[in-house]
Amino acid sequence: MSTLLEAKEVTKIYGKAGHPSLSKVSFRVADGEFIGIMGASGSGKTTLLNVLSTIDTPTSGDILINGVNLKTLNHTSAADFRKDNLGFIFQEYFLLDSLTIRENISVPLTLQKLPPKKIEKMVRSLSERFGIASQLDKYPHELSGGQRQRASAARAIVKQPSILFADEPTGALDSSSATELLNALHEANLELHTTILMVTHDAYAASFASRILIFKDGSIIKELIKQDSSRRDFYEAITAEVTRLDTER
Amino acid sequence: MNNLSMAYKNLRKNFSFYALYLLSVSLVITVYFAFTSFSMNSVMLEKISGNGRVESMCSVISVFLIAFVVFYMSYSNRFFLRRRTKELGIYALLGYRKSRILSLLISENILIGSGSLIVGLVLGAIMHKGIVYGTTILLNLQVDNEEIPFFNFNAITDTIVFISLVMCVMAISNAYFLFKTSLMDLVRFEKRAEKSMNLKKMPAILGFVQIIVGYGLALDIFRGSDSLWFTIGFYPTGLLTAMSIVMGTVLFIASFLPFAVQKSKQHKKAFYTETKIVTSPIFIYRIRSNAKTLIMLTLLSAATLTISSVMALTLFYPIAAVARMAPSELEFRIEKDGQLNDAKLLVNQYASDDSVTYIQTDIFKVTASAEKLPVEYSTGTSKGDAKNEKILREAGFECISYSQYVSLLQAQGKSDVVNKLSALQDDECILVKYQPNADGSDESGSIYFLNVNNSSIPLTVKATTLNNPISFSNSVGTLIVSDNVYEQIKSGTASECSIISINGKVIEDNEKLFEDMRNLLGNSPYLQGHSHRVNEIMSLNSSTFLLISFLVVLFFIATGSILYFNNISAVSDSKADYEILSKMGYSNRKLKRILRKQVLTFFSIPFLFGLIDCIFATVVYKTGLMQNLLGNTITLYFPTMIAIALTAFIYFTYYLITIHTCYRTVLRH
Repeated sequence: MSTLLEAKEVTKIYGKAGHPSLSKVSFRVADGEFIGIMGASGSGKTTLLNVLSTIDTPTSGDILINGVNLKTLNHTSAADFRKDNLGFIFQEYFLLDSLTIRENISVPLTLQKLPPKKIEKMVRSLSERFGIASQLDKYPHELSGGQRQRASAARAIVKQPSILFADEPTGALDSSSATELLNALHEANLELHTTILMVTHDAYAASFASRILIFKDGSIIKELIKQDSSRRDFYEAITAEVTRLDTER
Repeated sequence: MNNLSMAYKNLRKNFSFYALYLLSVSLVITVYFAFTSFSMNSVMLEKISGNGRVESMCSVISVFLIAFVVFYMSYSNRFFLRRRTKELGIYALLGYRKSRILSLLISENILIGSGSLIVGLVLGAIMHKGIVYGTTILLNLQVDNEEIPFFNFNAITDTIVFISLVMCVMAISNAYFLFKTSLMDLVRFEKRAEKSMNLKKMPAILGFVQIIVGYGLALDIFRGSDSLWFTIGFYPTGLLTAMSIVMGTVLFIASFLPFAVQKSKQHKKAFYTETKIVTSPIFIYRIRSNAKTLIMLTLLSAATLTISSVMALTLFYPIAAVARMAPSELEFRIEKDGQLNDAKLLVNQYASDDSVTYIQTDIFKVTASAEKLPVEYSTGTSKGDAKNEKILREAGFECISYSQYVSLLQAQGKSDVVNKLSALQDDECILVKYQPNADGSDESGSIYFLNVNNSSIPLTVKATTLNNPISFSNSVGTLIVSDNVYEQIKSGTASECSIISINGKVIEDNEKLFEDMRNLLGNSPYLQGHSHRVNEIMSLNSSTFLLISFLVVLFFIATGSILYFNNISAVSDSKADYEILSKMGYSNRKLKRILRKQVLTFFSIPFLFGLIDCIFATVVYKTGLMQNLLGNTITLYFPTMIAIALTAFIYFTYYLITIHTCYRTVLRH
């Protein structure tokens, strides 16, 4: 599989001489991979997500997505890059309250100036995949947390981004809603070949990924690969690693 | 840490947030204090109001002013309370008693109130001095400025007591809110999920229809005597029109606009665009919670614009009409021998200048017959149409010669009118109209048979004119005939009267000369003075104009600030929405466009409605209630246009400030 994302010696320092939030982080993500990023609070996960997604700029190092060096992007071209290549899911859903679910999912497609008929078709098909087809004309506040997060995931995937960034997507969900969402993401990864980079605290959520990068103090300290093991075995391996790291603290 | 120092720290920390609040409350107090100082300024009131007219107007306007100040201050208080509710909830969670939180709020209000009061009193005193200075110059008053103190202590006491009372009421309302709201609601008092709006068809259609009916009724006035304004009556129709427009506006904003936007979403090609898909739902969403504010602002906007426009017209129209009421700088009828010489001697005392012209016009009254004689022929001949005249006029044309007409126009500086004239043939005449005929007809081409020396001279009306060379006090039904015909009339008719018209730049705007001339002529009712008339109108109307201006200025500060706060509040509430849009790939340029559209919609609704209402109301007022001495010329609407342009400018300035703050609130770069 070809490399979709490559981070080379990425460092991010906030303030003048503070401790680096990211310290020379390097890794690659292949096209179609489902990556989990784990680590304690303050380990640099969210900073990594911000610099990878052009929302923040690294102090040094290079990030290439689809061969584009993010350093070369100005504010406008970064916005265009996000529009064409990136999708986002957040813990707080961040659906637009005044828009119906249908309108929320349609927004990224209108940005790509697709014709209305095509937009409606794509929204319908994805909403069926995420089990929210009957909720399309409702407003976000009329939906449960799980339904809202699935709508948010549909909105992120509908434009078929090169890579989907998910920041603690199950953080605010009960376990069954979390499982539904993770299954949907897993299916999208398998069937639509959406590359996913998911930040999570939760070992269960992480076990849906194919590879885990564990962060500590701004650096990757461990990599776990699922390979052919079952999800349950992978989950146990992750739990064991997380427990080991916890006891080392 | 005590409440006062907590409040002080909070204000300092959020200075930019409170700056506009402080500024707008200061400005409101400035206007209030300037007005109060003015209404308590006995020196000025003595000069501009002899019969208590200004005093009684002051008390009416002060009621409106008080209502405005109370409304504005309580609105902004509620706005800031709402924005801080979550923070107050956290204080409560930390163990602060509600009474302590309330005293914190009161301390903050006292700090803001005192700051605004100090600024307002100083600026208000300056503004009051400015108004006094402007009025004395405008009205040419002799006022001893030493007699008017910079600070009027009665006005200060009045303002402090009033503002303190308003703040007490605000404290009570804050207490009610705090003690009524549970801790849970305080902490979770964020953007509340709105209930789905039921967009009903009937009220939407009704709103639209009522607006159309209202404007249709207003336009009906152009049908003249057949219109409802004349058949039913001006005031009942006016009331019906106003009610239809007010109710229509309420339903139009609350139902029709969201309904129309909702319907427009069905037009998919237009809706599925990067801007529309965000702005249309936001508009529907915002109008749910802001309909009342928007309706109130729209109605106030319409009322204020109409008042200022009608006021401007009321002041400007009579001044513009002076050119017709008193076309010469001085004009009188010779009633005694030697008056002309006495007048010349008097004028020479003020201006021994050759540029002063004295033109004597002998007017000859001639009866006539015709298929239809013009209304001017018999104006003032019966009690019915001459209620104010002491002496009834005899019907007839009052003839002057063409060359006299030309010399008078030239002396009055109307050379542009002279240039357009062509000499009269002996069978032609020019009819001076008092006002254009209501049905739009014109006498041109009519033939009048003048009875001169037992014979009849047929004259065809070559043209009608509104450029009367002699005032209406001295001549009505003036007919300009050729010099030959005039000589013919002169030979066989006794002159009705001789009019002296005095003109010249050097004698313009000289009240003393007019006063002396009046004494010389023994208070003759036939004495007319152009500048005197202008000054008289200015001093009669400008105090009213000035007082209304207080209201208008205050209204603009209040409306602009409410629109500002309302928009900033909505945009801050949806800051996260803009963040997510940015992450989705909306560039700052696109986000700015969305913000501009959103803010512009909320600014344009009150402005456009106000503008349309104002235009219709002004047209109705002008057509129905004002004399049509000047005909329908666009220059008459010049002051209305200035009033509108000023309003547009103020709205636009507030719009720019608002949009700038919105950009700063939402955009990262």
